[in-house]
Amino acid sequence: MAKVELRGVNKQFGSVHVIKDINLTVEDHEFVVFVGPSGCGKSTLLRLIAGLEEITSGEIDIDGARVDHLAPARRGVAMVFQSYALYPHFTVAQNMGYALRVAKEDKAVIDRKVREAAEILQLTEYLDRKPKALSGGQRQRVAIGRAIVRDPKVFLFDEPLSNLDAKLRVQMRIELTRLHRELNATMIYVTHDQVEAMTMADKIVVLRDGRVEQIGAPLDLYNTPDNRFVAGFIGSPAMNFFAGRAESVSDAGVEVALEGGTRFTFPCETPGVKAGDVVEFGVRPEHFSIGGNGDGGSDGALKGEVYAVERLGGETYLYLNSGSYRDIVAHMSGDAPISIGDSVEIGFSLARSHLFGPDGQSIR
Amino acid sequence: MQSTDYESVRRARTRNLKLWLALLLTPAALLLIVFVFIPMGSAVLYSLYEWDGLARKGYVGLANFSDILFDPVRNKVLFHAFWNNVKVFVTLMIIQNGYALVLAMLLARNPRGYRFYQVVFFLPVILSTVIVSFQWKLFLNPVFGLVNKALIAVGLESWAVPWLGLPETALPAMMLVNAWHWFGFPTLVFLAAIHRIPTDFIEAARLDGASEWRIAREIIWPLMAPAVTIIVVLTFIGSFNWFEIPYVMNGLEGSPQGSTDMLGLLFYRTAFGSISAGGSDFGHGSALAVLMFIFIFVFSILATKYLTSREVEMN
Amino acid sequence: MNKHLTRAVVTAAVLGLAVPALAQTELSFWSWRQEDVKAYNEMIAEFEKTHPDIKVTYTAHEAKAYNTILTTALAGGSGPDIIHTRAYGSLENVSGAGYLEPLNDQVDLSNFPADLVRGTTLRADGKVYAVPFATQTVLVYYNKDIFEQQGLTPPATWDEFMDVAEKLKAAGITPLANGTADGWTIEVASGAIMPNFYGPDFFGEVTSGKTTFADPRYVDALEHMAQLAPYMPQGFEGVDYATMKALFTSGAAAMFIGGSWEIPGWRDAGLNFGFMAGPAAEPGKDRLVATWLDGGYGVNAASPNKEAALEFIRFTATKEWGQMLADKLANVPAVKGVVPKDPALAEIIKLQEHQTPYIMLVAFRFKKPTGSQLLQDGLQKLMTGAMSAEDVAKAVADGIASAK
Repeated sequence: MAKVELRGVNKQFGSVHVIKDINLTVEDHEFVVFVGPSGCGKSTLLRLIAGLEEITSGEIDIDGARVDHLAPARRGVAMVFQSYALYPHFTVAQNMGYALRVAKEDKAVIDRKVREAAEILQLTEYLDRKPKALSGGQRQRVAIGRAIVRDPKVFLFDEPLSNLDAKLRVQMRIELTRLHRELNATMIYVTHDQVEAMTMADKIVVLRDGRVEQIGAPLDLYNTPDNRFVAGFIGSPAMNFFAGRAESVSDAGVEVALEGGTRFTFPCETPGVKAGDVVEFGVRPEHFSIGGNGDGGSDGALKGEVYAVERLGGETYLYLNSGSYRDIVAHMSGDAPISIGDSVEIGFSLARSHLFGPDGQSIR
Repeated sequence: MQSTDYESVRRARTRNLKLWLALLLTPAALLLIVFVFIPMGSAVLYSLYEWDGLARKGYVGLANFSDILFDPVRNKVLFHAFWNNVKVFVTLMIIQNGYALVLAMLLARNPRGYRFYQVVFFLPVILSTVIVSFQWKLFLNPVFGLVNKALIAVGLESWAVPWLGLPETALPAMMLVNAWHWFGFPTLVFLAAIHRIPTDFIEAARLDGASEWRIAREIIWPLMAPAVTIIVVLTFIGSFNWFEIPYVMNGLEGSPQGSTDMLGLLFYRTAFGSISAGGSDFGHGSALAVLMFIFIFVFSILATKYLTSREVEMN
Repeated sequence: MNKHLTRAVVTAAVLGLAVPALAQTELSFWSWRQEDVKAYNEMIAEFEKTHPDIKVTYTAHEAKAYNTILTTALAGGSGPDIIHTRAYGSLENVSGAGYLEPLNDQVDLSNFPADLVRGTTLRADGKVYAVPFATQTVLVYYNKDIFEQQGLTPPATWDEFMDVAEKLKAAGITPLANGTADGWTIEVASGAIMPNFYGPDFFGEVTSGKTTFADPRYVDALEHMAQLAPYMPQGFEGVDYATMKALFTSGAAAMFIGGSWEIPGWRDAGLNFGFMAGPAAEPGKDRLVATWLDGGYGVNAASPNKEAALEFIRFTATKEWGQMLADKLANVPAVKGVVPKDPALAEIIKLQEHQTPYIMLVAFRFKKPTGSQLLQDGLQKLMTGAMSAEDVAKAVADGIASAK
């Protein structure tokens, strides 16, 4: 197992610059998730590490050795494709053992390794079947098994769960986490689904437009996003944003005025804004206190009119409009006697709220 | 009462649909009957009679067939021509389709200018076979032909032989012309088949450490089996019906010395006669046509069945 | 209805009825001689002058496809009234099927040599089915300019022929334009050389079964054929008919062995040429030329205008028609007594004094394999040295014996 380091990695397809100066370290045994909206370059970055694409400039090290000049097979990585890429004319065992056969490994060794991997993945009884005869989840496991058999330094996953249905996806998420623990392997996992990122990652790399927006543990990103993009991307439903004005800046913090007269002073150390700047105030749906209830506290509040209510039994989502602030989402646990058209006060606590400057950076 | 009403409306609707289908299928069916089934039927009928020139004489049963197959004078010519067809099939499989496969594999890697090559490779296919044959006959002319002039120009004088005039080189030269004329077609079919293979398979194999040769042989080749089936069967049919190129380039007699004789030429000579082979003989000619049809039909079906069985679905 | 209109309709109806009564009988006339359309139309015009009630339309099809087109049309119950037929085996194909009208009592053929009338006679019933039209003779053409430049005289004997060929070759000129790619052209060439070695009696003996093609005379003739190979163009195995003609007309080759039908082509090319019979085997011997009947004019037995067609056919059996064939088309007419204006044709008629039938076409094209197929195959092997004269003769003899 090994550490992966990217230094100043760039990738251009013709004149299109898709990966921009990425510096990144994946520690040994770490489960790192690249996440970002489609087109952000996360898959390309993974393919650059795998060697399926050539980097334009920069350096990639795996296990302390530079690999960016090596053929994919010689980098010590194994990849699980979104489509699984199981060879349809091979049986499960042949699929899993292909790399070893190519490497001219002894037949008995191949057989043993394939069986071990099949054991871990509960595929033993399917070894002689062709991929066509397997379910989606089983194919997924064969694809993982093929990677395991190679005993790579780094596992690469390219959106491996997106072809599965919701229930299976949850199951595979847990299974992959378990596998990571058992194999104690370095894994890099690409997804556009921030739930997968949050639930599986030791460390998340948020990418946008070929750049790293933020790197950190899931809850760090959740609690202290570096910027408005990360704040909005991590968390579901997404954070609510309210445009406002910085009225004044003092040692105590930034005095913010929202529409409709709500005013508060957002405590911060390095404001980075001046009076008169447009700022955005962010509150996650689950951090509102509704009708003065809950733990949201009330450092301030907005009054909104409910236009939709989603009751999920254990929790309830309210959708509100408040003046020019449209489509505010608020979450509350349990049920509440609120109906459409009700006017509701949603309170927030500054300790669990976020403020972003005109450049989108967090003000802390 | 109401339910019967619904039913009749529903039945009328299906009847209308069937009427439409029949209407749409009629022209195709008529064409098939007039230009395929009737000629085939009449060939079978003709083959059962003795013919004197154009006149149908008595019914002779399968005598024409047994003449062709078992009479030592006739079957020598038949098997000689048949063996040439076999040579054509095997050679075209190797030089024409093999070359096409290599080209397709190269083109599949999207080299610079690959669209251009694709068009250039396909150009000879759209030319008329007769024109291609005639043009190559001129190129291969021992006195004025470009081929020998070029060979002499580069110092290969001993290679400047009368290609179409020697029994050793005439058939190979024609097969090369056929390959030149048609290779673009299998190239395109193979290329389409390779493009259908998800790139993930190839990348996965690359990550598994397989060499490009190994990827071609173990991943791409098995997965393009359906295209291979089509090309093998079409080449088979084309080879055993081979006619235009040998006819235009060296005439009906399979000149020189019968080295380019083919079943198609033999059929034509027998049925319609020729300047050297004498008058027409519909009886034996039709019998030969029927035998050729049966042979090609049966083997095409067997080959298709066998080849299809080794195809795999890509999910 | 309006009176005027009524009158107009009635007039039109009367006229409409009257027109067919005045109409000519229209005859269709098919041939493979596309290059002769103009001359045939002129010759037909001569006929129409004396027969204003008959109109003949001449249609020429592509030579290679003519037999197929004709036989297909006749089998389908259509086809022309007048048919330009081939001779010998090809004629039997059509006449044997009953598509041609027997001419014995309907056309006077007394003015034709019996040998030639045999070319349009069906062997099975002995009836004549076409009026013989022209003969072809195998000649050795030579380029007068080249011979003059090289100071050569046309060779009369085989030894002289070899000598001339050797001198031409030494001078860097291809002596003989002939190749073997088109098998029939080498068979034609054999018609100039071989009869001088197998002699005038061989035809009668081999057709009557007194001897076979394995006869030493025939082997000897083949051996002399083989001696031509070094004087043929380089790569002669791949030289086809078109290339042969190009070599001769361009002056790259000095001699060309071919049929008498080549004369108009040489003239069109502006070639200063002469011709002669094949060389005599020894000094003092006759120089034999191989000849055959090129074809004839027959009447479609199913023609609705048979009488008119026969009237036209009778015209083609006259000396007048023969004269036109000679003068307009440079054909050597089959009918006796024509004195062509063209000295070349007169010369051919003179050469024909020592003629022998062009053997395979005249006598061995009725069964399969045909003599032509056997001989062409044999000659291709002989000329390339793949087979000896003796083996070729034996192969031809065996092939003829097994033919059916």
